[in-house]
Amino acid sequence: MKAVGRLGRTLLTTYFGLLVLFLYAPLVVLMVFAFNSGNIPSLPIKSFSTKWFSSAFSDTTLTSALLRSFLIAVVNGFAATLLGVMAAVTLARRRLALRTVVVTLILLPLVVPYIVLAVGMVVLLHQLGIATSLAAVLAGHVVISLPYSVLVILPRLRTLDPSISEAALDLGASELRAFWFVTLPLLAPALFSSFLIAFTISFDEFAIASFLAPPGSPTYPVVLYSSSRTPALLPEVIAIGSIVIVLSLALVVLAEVARRAAERRIEALSQAPPLTAG
Amino acid sequence: MLTAVTPSAYVVIVLLVPIVLIGLYSFGLMTNVAGTHTAFSTSDWSDFLTGAGNPFRGRFFTSIIVTVVVSGAAVLGAYPLAYFLAFVAGRHRYTVLLLVLAPFFTSYLLRVIAWQVILNNNGVINSALWQLGLRAHGHAITWLIYSKFSVALVLFYAWVPFVALPIFVVLDNVDRRLLDASHDLGAGRFSTFLRVTLPMSLPGVAAGFVFVLIPTTGEFIAPLLVGGPSSQLFGNSVQAFFSDTPDWNYGSVLALTLVGVVLIMLALFGRFIGRDLTQAEGEAA
Repeated sequence: MKAVGRLGRTLLTTYFGLLVLFLYAPLVVLMVFAFNSGNIPSLPIKSFSTKWFSSAFSDTTLTSALLRSFLIAVVNGFAATLLGVMAAVTLARRRLALRTVVVTLILLPLVVPYIVLAVGMVVLLHQLGIATSLAAVLAGHVVISLPYSVLVILPRLRTLDPSISEAALDLGASELRAFWFVTLPLLAPALFSSFLIAFTISFDEFAIASFLAPPGSPTYPVVLYSSSRTPALLPEVIAIGSIVIVLSLALVVLAEVARRAAERRIEALSQAPPLTAG
Repeated sequence: MLTAVTPSAYVVIVLLVPIVLIGLYSFGLMTNVAGTHTAFSTSDWSDFLTGAGNPFRGRFFTSIIVTVVVSGAAVLGAYPLAYFLAFVAGRHRYTVLLLVLAPFFTSYLLRVIAWQVILNNNGVINSALWQLGLRAHGHAITWLIYSKFSVALVLFYAWVPFVALPIFVVLDNVDRRLLDASHDLGAGRFSTFLRVTLPMSLPGVAAGFVFVLIPTTGEFIAPLLVGGPSSQLFGNSVQAFFSDTPDWNYGSVLALTLVGVVLIMLALFGRFIGRDLTQAEGEAA
């Protein structure tokens, strides 16, 4: 017997359709008003125009903030992934002293509210006599990205056959060499996901950046927030926002396609006959 | 050795030390106001916890209620979605899941701004009603924005797809033979759902509930953009004490309270999440 009857199917499918509409409606609204010539995002739609895009791209506050956020996000992607690999390698060990402590520390950023982390870092910097800076924003972004990075890399690391890197060691490779040339390439898909997740977290992060970015050099979400409160700047925000949304949706799809391709390749490899055969 | 210690040390310095400092601030052992005498004091704590009619304590309880209502609503909204994915969507369910999850991976701030555009007094909904002649021009629906409704709606919107994920995973792994067995034993579809499928999916439901509960506990962005003076959450109070109306010592009391609440939630529901790492512990032991 099927778990769902005909009526159930109809109801569930209708609900699903409505929910998808609900989920995409705000995104569609942004895209529609990005091309609306009117000064306020309100109905009726005036006429088609790309003027908000040109005014957004000539607004240096906005474009320099975008560039700033992009750079921080890239560095964050690398830094969080590096720390994530270190943590994952540590946690993958069979024997690990204080495992519970390490697991708790690594997962802690998942549960501490960002607002608490933000004000805590403000206090820390104040006690150390250090001014707020983009480096501090980056430091905060790395710590909130770390658990995601570990949660992506660790399961992949666990599925690797230990005999592969043991073979490299038997053939005379040092631990570091075996890790670099054998384990790391096999981890590549997970490292790629980790980078993308950390990039996205940093690029969109508002709470920490709003406290730690110096007034003269705000990140993109900080500018987004302050501009959205200024009616004259809202259409620009909407225009830039719709571009960012299209790019992130494209990134999600690409990442998923790449992940599936990588999984298929690894599956094919693992089904290949062992090297010793024949 | 370096590999083993670095990530943990990093979290200690950037996350744990700041929380300890907040603790010291909350008891008056440190202060940011130059020239002020510092000494151990519980006055800020007792004012918050026991002061008659303390507004922040009131806001704290309101926030908890909003958080729990939103989490419950998100679970109710996500369950049929997860059920659809697991039992109706068929072979391409992972692609359909991606379709549902994709908006979750776009900027949260942008989505809140989009809701502001939709709910505003001259926004999409109100102006559409005016255009259709359903409401007198210029008369906006008062509760649509800057209300508890708008804050709750935006939080519900933000979390519904994510909550569907753990429920879907559990439902997708339900052994279909159990459903057949239930049918063979004479149960109808609805009774099978109530007595077999639903109980088996409860761990996913609990995980989904916690997935919303914990991050929304410290929420302050949605109230800033679509909330009014009466619908600010506890996270907004923390933010205010460190920005517009600075009092770091009092703000630290509130910030530490947030941490405490999250830890209590974790103690209550923690076993439903983070299975990956804890299970691994068992295997390694």
